[in-house]
Amino acid sequence: MQQAGNNNKAFSLKTRIKRLKRDINKWSVFTLAIVFFLALPIIFIGVELFAGPGETWGHIVDYLLLDYIWNSLYLVLVCSILVLLLGVSSAWFVSRYDFLFRKQMEWLLILPLAIPSYIVGYAYAGFFDYGGSMDLLFRQLGLEFMRIDIMNRAGLAFVLSISLFPYVYVSARAFFLNQANNLLEASKMLGVGELKTFFKLMLPLARPAIVAGLVLVLMEVLNDYGAAKYYGVNTFTTGIFRSWFSLEEPQTAVYLSALLICFIFALILFEKWQVRKIKFTSSKTNSNQIQRKRPKGAMKWLIFSVVFLPILLGFILPVAQLIYWAVITASTVFDMEFIMISLQSFAIAIASAVITVFFALVLIYFSKWSTLTTIKNISRVGVLGYAIPGAVIAIGIMIPTLALDKWLINILGNFGIDSGLIINGTLLALFYAYAVRFLAVAYNPIDSTALKVDNSIPDSSKVLGVGNLKTFFKIDFPLIKTGVFSAVILVFIDVMKELPLTLILKPYHIDTLAVKAFEYASDEMVMEASIPSLFIIFTAMIPVIFLNKLLIKK
Amino acid sequence: MKKLILAIATISLVISCGKSKKNENTATEETTKEQVVNVYTHRHYEPDQNIFKMFEDKTGIKVKVINASADELIQKMKMEGKQSPADVLITVDAGRLSRAKDEGLLQSIESEVLEKNIPAHLQDVDNQWFGLTKRARIIAYAKDRVKPEDLSSYEALVDEKWKGKILVRSSANIYNQSLMASIIANDGEEAAKTWAEGIVANMARSPKGSDRDQVKAVVAGEGDIAIVNSYYIGKMLNSPDAEEVKTAQQIGLFFPNQEDRGTHINVSGAGVAKYAPNKENAIQFIEFLIGKEAQQVFTEANYEYPVLESVEPVKDIQAWGDFKEDTLGLNKLGENNKKAVLIFDAAGWK
Repeated sequence: MQQAGNNNKAFSLKTRIKRLKRDINKWSVFTLAIVFFLALPIIFIGVELFAGPGETWGHIVDYLLLDYIWNSLYLVLVCSILVLLLGVSSAWFVSRYDFLFRKQMEWLLILPLAIPSYIVGYAYAGFFDYGGSMDLLFRQLGLEFMRIDIMNRAGLAFVLSISLFPYVYVSARAFFLNQANNLLEASKMLGVGELKTFFKLMLPLARPAIVAGLVLVLMEVLNDYGAAKYYGVNTFTTGIFRSWFSLEEPQTAVYLSALLICFIFALILFEKWQVRKIKFTSSKTNSNQIQRKRPKGAMKWLIFSVVFLPILLGFILPVAQLIYWAVITASTVFDMEFIMISLQSFAIAIASAVITVFFALVLIYFSKWSTLTTIKNISRVGVLGYAIPGAVIAIGIMIPTLALDKWLINILGNFGIDSGLIINGTLLALFYAYAVRFLAVAYNPIDSTALKVDNSIPDSSKVLGVGNLKTFFKIDFPLIKTGVFSAVILVFIDVMKELPLTLILKPYHIDTLAVKAFEYASDEMVMEASIPSLFIIFTAMIPVIFLNKLLIKK
Repeated sequence: MKKLILAIATISLVISCGKSKKNENTATEETTKEQVVNVYTHRHYEPDQNIFKMFEDKTGIKVKVINASADELIQKMKMEGKQSPADVLITVDAGRLSRAKDEGLLQSIESEVLEKNIPAHLQDVDNQWFGLTKRARIIAYAKDRVKPEDLSSYEALVDEKWKGKILVRSSANIYNQSLMASIIANDGEEAAKTWAEGIVANMARSPKGSDRDQVKAVVAGEGDIAIVNSYYIGKMLNSPDAEEVKTAQQIGLFFPNQEDRGTHINVSGAGVAKYAPNKENAIQFIEFLIGKEAQQVFTEANYEYPVLESVEPVKDIQAWGDFKEDTLGLNKLGENNKKAVLIFDAAGWK
């Protein structure tokens, strides 16, 4: 292949087509079909680009664009630093050391993911604002002049980092747990110190896993609307909403989305590029786990605090604030309906998680089995949905599905059947939208575990005449199981928290907790929003604990 | 492998549940011809649920609700076209209603009840939408630092003496956009622009947070006055959080422009969808919303001003006294909305 690549330029168009014909197989076709299906909403939005931007584009460039770019860059930069510090350090300590409450903290560290970041934003604003708990404490201490203002750009970066760092934590820890033992022993035998082992050996090796988590975080950061709007920070996403809804120009919003997508695309390329530089060969999943060290003295407390701090800031504080609000509003807000809504949210989230992961698996493996080399890159187009605001995707989904619905209505009408809308306003459209939106969340953990599978095993299975699908179920799947279930759980949590898309596409009489929380929060009833928020957190906690069990199991 | 089977079983279970539910629905609809009204609403207030229940109990018509922002609902209706199941669109501002009208999403209806009970400037000239409740955009001031005599109109806020004293939320907020739209309609575009620049120059801080946060910032001393909606003060005075109640008690309410056109008001309103499958139910529903019972709930639970004159506003807001309201036709708010946003951007009002 390498040689063929070098001679590429020598090929005439004719030979290229010949090669294409030779290399294309049914898996390539399937992959293309699925990518097309998942990219359809994005394509429909992309087509809008050719219509040119709206008339206010010039106005946006003059007054707002610089602000959007600058703020988004700031958030990307500051969140990267904070998230890496929090996520990698805690992942390393819980994998390498044994200390007080380690087992509990291992899963507590994932819990911040269970809180929608805009809720964390509200909680922190409530905590620090006038009459908030922190303010009252300062007043008690006679420090009235000390008021911490969190509602600004730096505060937003803090809030987003503290609620999203578990993406990095989860992927970094999975690497440390599964891969690190042999390397650590080797390093120990060679007499290399602890710090040096970490910085010279573990960190570079864990980089692909860490960056995969980081890319997810940054997509979420760029996509955040609720917190940025509340904290008064203008970003691309708030700009998209503004130009679409306040300026009434969908085309301008699409242009901003396109810029944002370029941004995200650059991030993805960066990730690919840096992973390519490190080729894994020692990639068999390690069966023996890390031998944890027991730190002593001051070190013990240092490690404990480093691990505890993110839990305190990302989970305990915001949840405490929410519980306080819930207690004072419980009588007006709570009723049995909440149990029903929780069950509905749970069922929808599980179903869409499984569907999304199915698509991710299919994409990853079909493109693997396809002999067409470029198909892997094409399949990556499918993950772009994560970069696009939920509201935009919802519109991208409505255009084609409504056309299909109308066509079906016509056809069925000929037979005298009044069918109404079959796809829109049903769970089907919602599941489709979630799959488009969250494919990246499922794709990355599976892809990174699949990368570690030594290809020689499935390859020998195929040489022995076993088909692709059978090989997958018998050999690949058991090897990547952890990745697959992590993916299911991550998508599950994301769907539990998802808002704009659900608002637009949800069927009548199906409510989700996130919708309920938003209804309150959007009318400044932040306190009343605390009860549905807590329900989201507790519903999402169950699979999070399950995820943790999966990751640490041998 | 087992887990995979389990997972697949879960999906099929959930999907079959969804399907069987759907079947049940269609089955009941066919047998009993259940009466429904499909409501697209931007009002996310809990008391509304009670009003819908009251309507169901009274008429036997089932209220089915989709909650989202008005902009998203308008997009949705546009795309659904003739197939849209929406019967009624409810928004929290007049601007969005008049936009829905311009997009051809609403229809004119004839209803003597609505015609008679809703003041002319609070309903559409073509009877495509009707105001349900009023809210005033007022000036909240720190009682200990500001004398109400120093306040007069929105326009006067650009005066030097308010430098670094004004708190107001982001221009992304529809209530600010509507206020600006009304200033464009009353004073003209040029004056509106100068006004926006003057306010930006006098701001105590860069706009952020909600209306409630502006009130808190006044009490915290970050500024002296805030431009906010009336009903948030009502809500704060009745908040379950004792600190918030204390905060609201330190605030005075001023209705601007009493000497001239009156205080800017906006309505939350409703219209019947162009392709409403249940038009009669929709009309009945809107008539119920401006009935005495519903109006009572609106004002008692949400501290809004009722549009029905025979219903007294709740005690808390009566205490603020009567005021003269700007009777500008609310259609103007929709027409000037985009101009308002452009002016905000150019003036640097975040």
